[in-house]
Amino acid sequence: MKDMPFILGVSGGKGGTGKSFVATNLAALLSERFKVVLADIDVEAPNDFLLLGLQDLGDSEDIRTFFPIIDYKKCTACGACAKVCDTGAIVMAKGRPPMVMPRLCSGCKACIYACPYDAIYEGKRVVGKLFIRNVPTGFGSFKLVTGVLKEGEEHTPPAVVYTKRRAVEESKDSDILIVDTGAGSGNAIAAALQGSGVLIAVTEPTPLGVHDLKAILEIAKGIGTKTWIVINRSGIGPKDELLAVAKRYDVERVFEIPYSKEVVLSYAKGKLVVLESPNSRPARVLKEIADEISLLIVEGTTEVRR
Amino acid sequence: MATVRIAVPTERGGLDDFVYSRLGRTPTFTIVEVDVDTGEIKKVEVVRNPGAEAGSGAGVKAAQTIADAGASIYIGPSPGPNAYAALQYLGVKVFTLVGARVKDAIGKILEELKSS
Repeated sequence: MKDMPFILGVSGGKGGTGKSFVATNLAALLSERFKVVLADIDVEAPNDFLLLGLQDLGDSEDIRTFFPIIDYKKCTACGACAKVCDTGAIVMAKGRPPMVMPRLCSGCKACIYACPYDAIYEGKRVVGKLFIRNVPTGFGSFKLVTGVLKEGEEHTPPAVVYTKRRAVEESKDSDILIVDTGAGSGNAIAAALQGSGVLIAVTEPTPLGVHDLKAILEIAKGIGTKTWIVINRSGIGPKDELLAVAKRYDVERVFEIPYSKEVVLSYAKGKLVVLESPNSRPARVLKEIADEISLLIVEGTTEVRR
Repeated sequence: MATVRIAVPTERGGLDDFVYSRLGRTPTFTIVEVDVDTGEIKKVEVVRNPGAEAGSGAGVKAAQTIADAGASIYIGPSPGPNAYAALQYLGVKVFTLVGARVKDAIGKILEELKSS
């Protein structure tokens, strides 16, 4: 066993392209040979468990993020904390100690560093729940880590970072950690993908798919991660533009999962296509991707044999 | 009771400008110092609202701007929950009114203050 597992990021920019579809099927396939952890870091709408046909998410713990606690004995109401607060979470009334608005706080800790009187302590605030459970599949079983942000919370990144950190801890003795992110290409997504050996960008042959693929590849470039592309629902539109983008961003591999009835049927049942229709074209492509990843895990390197 | 300072969200600012339709993202606040008893306007200032370009917490930043300008009355659109909490903490009285010129809005609220 290694100290750190191989981290595979699954993202894509656009929503609804099949990120969770790819992540869950790969987790099941890889669990036949490897110790796998699948982390559902789409904390605003995590639903890998639904795609896996599970009813419950397992044992839960609180997701806690930093929240300033002000020592009113030390505070001189100088306003230094309010000045550095980027999210406007600290309000200052003249001559009175600051008031912190919990939901606006992003947990950045700038106020602690700014306070000249050491009057701010590290408090914690519960912003969501984290769930861990074992998932048996027809191939093997793997560990599913799910982060869920509380309704009404304004900041996603702290919950994402916490879930990611816990997922890494939970995969200390595993071979691979698959990180399934939400849609988009903001801070939360970049934080979720950091440290990935390979990022699989799941996209689709539509103008929206092309546009958002560029955004996520830009993120990958920023964090220095190698990229593969999965063109999901291949066949519903022209793919020339996707391929041009892939070339421009030095994408290593391009896979195509055809638009097919088998996927829709398994999806509607809450079952994995690799188990429901193992001989279908989509299942075979997923198997091919899993095999490529297996090579990376075994070699402990991100060099791909062609 | 002599003078009060009233903050009104505005686009360019000034007594003839209209009350802006949003609090957090308003470009400016027109701060009007007025004698409550006579209704005489003593001073008019226009301050920029940093909330207009804030990533988040715009309403709270706007509330802070109002308090920093020394205003104790706010006239404008209904504040959101965060901004409302902040205004309360900052001791700023809230009057909801939109669709009027600043000077007319102030006149209306002064009438209301006198009759209450």
